Amino acid sequence: MKGRVLNVLDETLIPKKTVYIKVRNTAQAVKVIRSMKTRAFGQFLVVLNTFLLEIQAADKASDRVFMQKMNKTAQALNASRPTFPFSEVTGIVVHWAEEALRHHEDPRKIVKRNIHGYLQGIRQQRLDRVARLAKLMKNGDSILTHCNVSGELAMAAALCRKQGKKIQIFATETRPYLQGAKLTCWELKRVGIDVTLIADNAVASVMADSLVNKVIVGSDRNCANGDFANKIGTYQIAVCAQEFNIPFYVLTQPSRAVKSGRDIPIEIRDEKELLCYEGKRFVPRGAKGFYPGFDVVPYQYVTKTVAINVK
Amino acid sequence: MSNKKPLKHILVHGQAAPAVMDILKKKRQKTVVIPEGRPQLEAAKVNSRELLKRNMTPLVIADNMAGFMFYRNMIKEVWLAYQIGDAHGALCDIGALIYAVLAKKHRVPVLAYPAVEQKRFIGKPKEICCFCGRRVAPPAVKGYVPLLEWVPGNYIGKIHE
Repeated sequence: MKGRVLNVLDETLIPKKTVYIKVRNTAQAVKVIRSMKTRAFGQFLVVLNTFLLEIQAADKASDRVFMQKMNKTAQALNASRPTFPFSEVTGIVVHWAEEALRHHEDPRKIVKRNIHGYLQGIRQQRLDRVARLAKLMKNGDSILTHCNVSGELAMAAALCRKQGKKIQIFATETRPYLQGAKLTCWELKRVGIDVTLIADNAVASVMADSLVNKVIVGSDRNCANGDFANKIGTYQIAVCAQEFNIPFYVLTQPSRAVKSGRDIPIEIRDEKELLCYEGKRFVPRGAKGFYPGFDVVPYQYVTKTVAINVK
Repeated sequence: MSNKKPLKHILVHGQAAPAVMDILKKKRQKTVVIPEGRPQLEAAKVNSRELLKRNMTPLVIADNMAGFMFYRNMIKEVWLAYQIGDAHGALCDIGALIYAVLAKKHRVPVLAYPAVEQKRFIGKPKEICCFCGRRVAPPAVKGYVPLLEWVPGNYIGKIHE
């Protein structure tokens, strides 16, 4: 964040261009989240930094107006993408503000300080998780991953490389936004890791042919019983991994807010995002599309979780 | 989530022969689920066209979305297009093994039908590094593009000639 502007990396343009979108308020933040310009951990950063933007904008507002602004910001962010548990984070921020007021303190100062502390804590915990992930990765491993694990898989692979372990990654392209082809390959290439791109429909083939010996994926939302939601395609990878006796590891952010995967609302996105590419339709007119953005993986498929505690 | 029972569809995987589309028509299918079929997207293009010709609606999904539909009880049968097949199994377009495994897990019948002939076993890396002719992966990324895979007979209920 610079002054009153939050610079958000447009992940949809990687690896071709590195462009930062300027976000100045909640409406613009919601737009970058909803249009998937940023995702996963990036979204989480946008959510927290949006409060910092609004705090700056409400510098001279009364406490009542300030609280209205905090609540409005939280509501707008919560509604931006239904599958994500933004309310768990925005709820904490609003609670900080309420508590500050209750103790006759300046809520702007308290919330700002707490957000910075929270982000610092998360950074540290993510680095700790990277180290634990690297421990899981053994010399000679060939790992299948799906979508993008917000830089942590690349960091863990780089750490393995430093430790002298030879790691190979198979990345699914992850239709329709191609985060695997674009982001994951880009991140892994940048740290010098051997990465091979496959189509989403080749995952059983690489498992049956013993080309991979581990699966590592991230998670977008976690449940009290261990179920989790992640990018569409994760469920069928988990089912195939179990069928071919391949261990399945998940990076999680444990939460008890939802009981099981059945309680997670799944975002259904516009069919155009599936049937068109760069604005051009490649499927005959008359055909329909169905695009669920996420799927749920029941806990029974998970060999081990590598957890971070975001609270 | 809605309390409505989800509609159950037939999922047709691979580039099925036109005669297979006639069978779907005879079975009075209104909507047929079609995984798009990377890397060339033949299924999304050709199967859709063939279904539309016969007044059926193709419901196109990405190749990674079938699991969601099985999980939500939206698939009643899987039809795999195969190149060669016998009692031991069938050589099918890539992706067939995923749907066969999902079908086994969800107790959905799998039938195999003849496919349009696929002459290549392996595609070129650039086919997966590009989408609709545009490069999407960073330079120097390797691509692995199997186009056919073997589905063992124990996953398949019946192989139709």
